[in-house]
Amino acid sequence: MADAYMGQFLMVDLTRETTRAVPVPQWLKDQFVGGKGFGAKLLYDLVPPGTNPLGPENVLMFLTGPLTATAAPSMRACAVTRSPLTGTYLDSFFGGRFGPEIKYAGYDGIIIFGKASRPVYLWIKDSRVEIRPAKGIWGTSTLEANALIKKDIEEPEARVVTIGQAGENQVLFSLICCEYNRQAGRGGAGAVMGSKNLKGIAIKGSRIVKVHDLKAFDAACKGAYAEIAQSAACATYTDGGTSSAIPWSNEIGTLPYRNYKSQSDPQADKIGDEGQKKHLFLGKAACFACPIRCSQMGAVRTGKHSHFITDIVEYESAALLGSNLDIHDVRAVAHLTKLCDEYGLDSMSAGGVIGFAFEAANNGVIQSPPGVTLDFGNVQGAEYLIRSMALQENELGKLLSQGVKRASTALGGNTGDYAMHVKGLECPAWGPRGTPGMGLAYMTADRGACHQRGFMIGYDVGGDEYNGQPVEPYLTKGRAVILVELQNFIAGTDALVKCDFTTCGLSSETFAAMLSAATGKPVEADYFNIIGEKIWNQTRLYNVREGFLAKDDTLPRRFIKEVLPDGPHKGQRISQEDMDYMRRDYYRIRGWDKEGRPTSETLKKLGLDQAPDFMERP
Amino acid sequence: MTQILSIKTNFDLCTGCSLCQLACSQRLLGGYNPHRALLRITHKTENLYHFPLVCNQCENPYCANVCPVKAISRNPQTGAMVVDHDTCIGCNMCRKYCPIEMVGVDPDLNKSVKCDLCNGNPACVAVCPTGALELAYRALPDKKNNEEADHG
Repeated sequence: MADAYMGQFLMVDLTRETTRAVPVPQWLKDQFVGGKGFGAKLLYDLVPPGTNPLGPENVLMFLTGPLTATAAPSMRACAVTRSPLTGTYLDSFFGGRFGPEIKYAGYDGIIIFGKASRPVYLWIKDSRVEIRPAKGIWGTSTLEANALIKKDIEEPEARVVTIGQAGENQVLFSLICCEYNRQAGRGGAGAVMGSKNLKGIAIKGSRIVKVHDLKAFDAACKGAYAEIAQSAACATYTDGGTSSAIPWSNEIGTLPYRNYKSQSDPQADKIGDEGQKKHLFLGKAACFACPIRCSQMGAVRTGKHSHFITDIVEYESAALLGSNLDIHDVRAVAHLTKLCDEYGLDSMSAGGVIGFAFEAANNGVIQSPPGVTLDFGNVQGAEYLIRSMALQENELGKLLSQGVKRASTALGGNTGDYAMHVKGLECPAWGPRGTPGMGLAYMTADRGACHQRGFMIGYDVGGDEYNGQPVEPYLTKGRAVILVELQNFIAGTDALVKCDFTTCGLSSETFAAMLSAATGKPVEADYFNIIGEKIWNQTRLYNVREGFLAKDDTLPRRFIKEVLPDGPHKGQRISQEDMDYMRRDYYRIRGWDKEGRPTSETLKKLGLDQAPDFMERP
Repeated sequence: MTQILSIKTNFDLCTGCSLCQLACSQRLLGGYNPHRALLRITHKTENLYHFPLVCNQCENPYCANVCPVKAISRNPQTGAMVVDHDTCIGCNMCRKYCPIEMVGVDPDLNKSVKCDLCNGNPACVAVCPTGALELAYRALPDKKNNEEADHG
């Protein structure tokens, strides 16, 4: 009986150049659902402790969820691996059209082992899988490689993921570019792909994805579309994508400015929806099966950088390559973002690294090379660093391409004070001084500083109520309990694999109705919190096994030591005492010991002490 | 004037989301795969443009013209060219001569499939969130008699 799964993983061993399909065990579906859940369990079981993230023993997985490829709105997929940037568990979610195609080819996921002896790409057409030489494609950008692979296989309708030059060169924050120009951006999954000599994967599938109860599923999906159509939050995304978050973030005092020195940017509006509508947007594009269409497609038609096609400059890119670098020509910010996309660099980490480098140059720690100015506001300096890192053109580029954590360690002095990262992952564009809940979210996110594992800003300053009560600003008390709930729900729905923006408009009941009808296993609205708690603890088990403990659940020194000089939260910081209190509170609620290890009672309660090992190997 | 139903495509409004294709494959095959749907979307210029393509329900239907068993004929109510699966022998001649490949044998059904306008209420149009697909009526000049053009 159909249950919306395809029932098998494709296992690829690039070292031996073999591939085979293996069944997805029923227990894995029952206990870990899909997406992030599969990733959490499989990474723990498949990758031995202490594995070099860039060695052949690391695995790279592309995982779907039970609702991916169906008519359920906006379901995506994720790349999961051990991060070379942080050493932690890494999942990176991507929209577009590649994820669904995995299922149309007949798989719930692709699991890649080993390392090819020469550059290759994979061509998967249903059950036929080829490992093909990437000669003539290696060395090209993400988008060039996409076109070249389609040409090589003579299949314009294939869905392709690629890495750019940055991934080939194993820049630690390189991305995987997913059909079309959607990024598995954070944490360096592109470097893992590059370390395996894998330039791309092309897929085309003819299989039908079938759900258990089509009539009930159709009704649940139609209900979901209606909810989205009525949602004011979703309407904001339809209108201007995430670009309108720029003025909002500035207003609530969380927009990073000049390497997070401040959280208030006087020229923010130029790079937000106002500036982007004027200078960039022409039409809208949607990810697969998404009625929201948050992606605003356009072109830079005027100025120094014309002409090129640009996607929306998402909030994170606009803030980190714009405000954070004190650059306010939105066309220039679009240009820098496009460079990152094409070379295959995570634009968020790139913005963090460049901000760090500009500040270090201001402090005299690094010198601007002849003809280049490394300073805030300088587009050419930013462009120079992006190219230097992606192409490994010089020593500075090589140093910075390892991220701010390693770069500050190498540079020494007080550079660590303004290296803005958690566990090595550069911070997202929500300065947390004044929003302690968001600080705790960064401290405890499984892949390092991440805003998508629990977006506390809404409660800290956004006016969201918790259990019908307003949330007192600046308090550390009571933040952990809200964050734990958010993290659980997000991890649970990331098993599907949902999109964060659709979730703004969909109720838990609707997710439950779609999942129940699709799999034939009835679940209630609280299911996602329950399964999410289990998944969150499974990723924690991985990180604990790799040595991440309480000492690592911390914030960059700037957020701890320096009070905000201006803006709505002038005078705010998150002190050591604040962090210690919130961490203790969080561990207590999680059922973790004082070092942040899940206790045996917690593992027992969640059934993680009994979970079987995934035994299949290629 | 005779009015016949048709689906008008508006590439300027299409976002490439494929909800139309999913609705189509759901009706046709009871499951999901946009490649198996009876309409197509082509993404162009780095995803800036999306071109939906639907069956033209031709006045001069090459698919029907070449069908060796005359399995494709016009439904007088909807004006759609419809495949009669009891007659179709699955030879795929229709696909060979359709210039936009909007008809052809489905690998599971082993019969030719094409857009039949869902008997007048197309699922693709109903689900389109932007109006990129819309129902329209084509106004055709009256013929002297009601017969199709004679290609015999």
